[in-house]
Amino acid sequence: MMLDDQKSFVLFPLGRKRFALPAEKVTELAKPDRLQTFPHRTPLLAGVLVRRGRIVPVCDVAHALVGPDAPPRKFYLIANRQFESRNEWTAIPVTGECELTSIQPQRPAGKLPAYVTGVLSLDNEIVEILALEELIATEVAI
Amino acid sequence: MRQKRVQPRRGASENVILFTVGGFRFAIAAGAVSEIRSMEGLQRFFGGTRHKAMAKVLYTLDRNGATHFVVSAAQHFRLPPSRPTRVLILRHAAAALLVDSTDRMTEISVLHALPLAFNREERDWYRGLAILNAEAVPVVNPSAFLSRGEVAVLRAITEQMQGVAVG
Repeated sequence: MMLDDQKSFVLFPLGRKRFALPAEKVTELAKPDRLQTFPHRTPLLAGVLVRRGRIVPVCDVAHALVGPDAPPRKFYLIANRQFESRNEWTAIPVTGECELTSIQPQRPAGKLPAYVTGVLSLDNEIVEILALEELIATEVAI
Repeated sequence: MRQKRVQPRRGASENVILFTVGGFRFAIAAGAVSEIRSMEGLQRFFGGTRHKAMAKVLYTLDRNGATHFVVSAAQHFRLPPSRPTRVLILRHAAAALLVDSTDRMTEISVLHALPLAFNREERDWYRGLAILNAEAVPVVNPSAFLSRGEVAVLRAITEQMQGVAVG
């Protein structure tokens, strides 16, 4: 079943699988940058990037989505996260180049995690559309 | 949608002391530190073995008639044991801080808010982040090392132990 009209999505790879985020959530794809770490207790956060004088937290969702065998992440997809009335950039490490596509999303068939809001049916591939907030909240709660 | 960017706090510049713990670099407001000294004269504090929450207090230091409770910064930040060599005595506080080394004093003009994505104890640990030579350095919150309640418990333990020693 189709969900909405055609929409734009950014497809990003994590190992052999690709996932999608709504394009309006994505700010940029960043080249490899120096991950900086300091002690903290928040799950999934790997550290921060300093980009053009701005501090961007890095949220590594690869283990949650593809397990511990995720290959090394090469780039950062920078997305907007909503915190009540405020937005904040979050860098998501990804394993390769991203792609922008416009396609009509479909309702997920079968039982998928709550953070999968729909799927994209591409040529030989079904790509899950992620709700970043739900994904992070689910993983933090585990 | 354009992002409503949280502007970093700009204001009068602030002198900070850089120090390291477990390979990580931190900053603390210079005004929050009354003295930096070696570990000489520290007395082992055994109260932490009886009260798990106080395990981060490793030593006491008597100075000018006051007792300072020396907190292991490594344990406070949940880091593996490190090799402390210096003690930062905090001004107007019962706490002192055991760190691996102190680096230098420098000036920061902008304190960036800790990103909202960080939502656990670190929100109490840090006042924010400073960028020094493109490196994000957490600026610690001096009042987070020991709460008033913890100080009260530590004083009670100390008095109890002194009473036992005298009796």
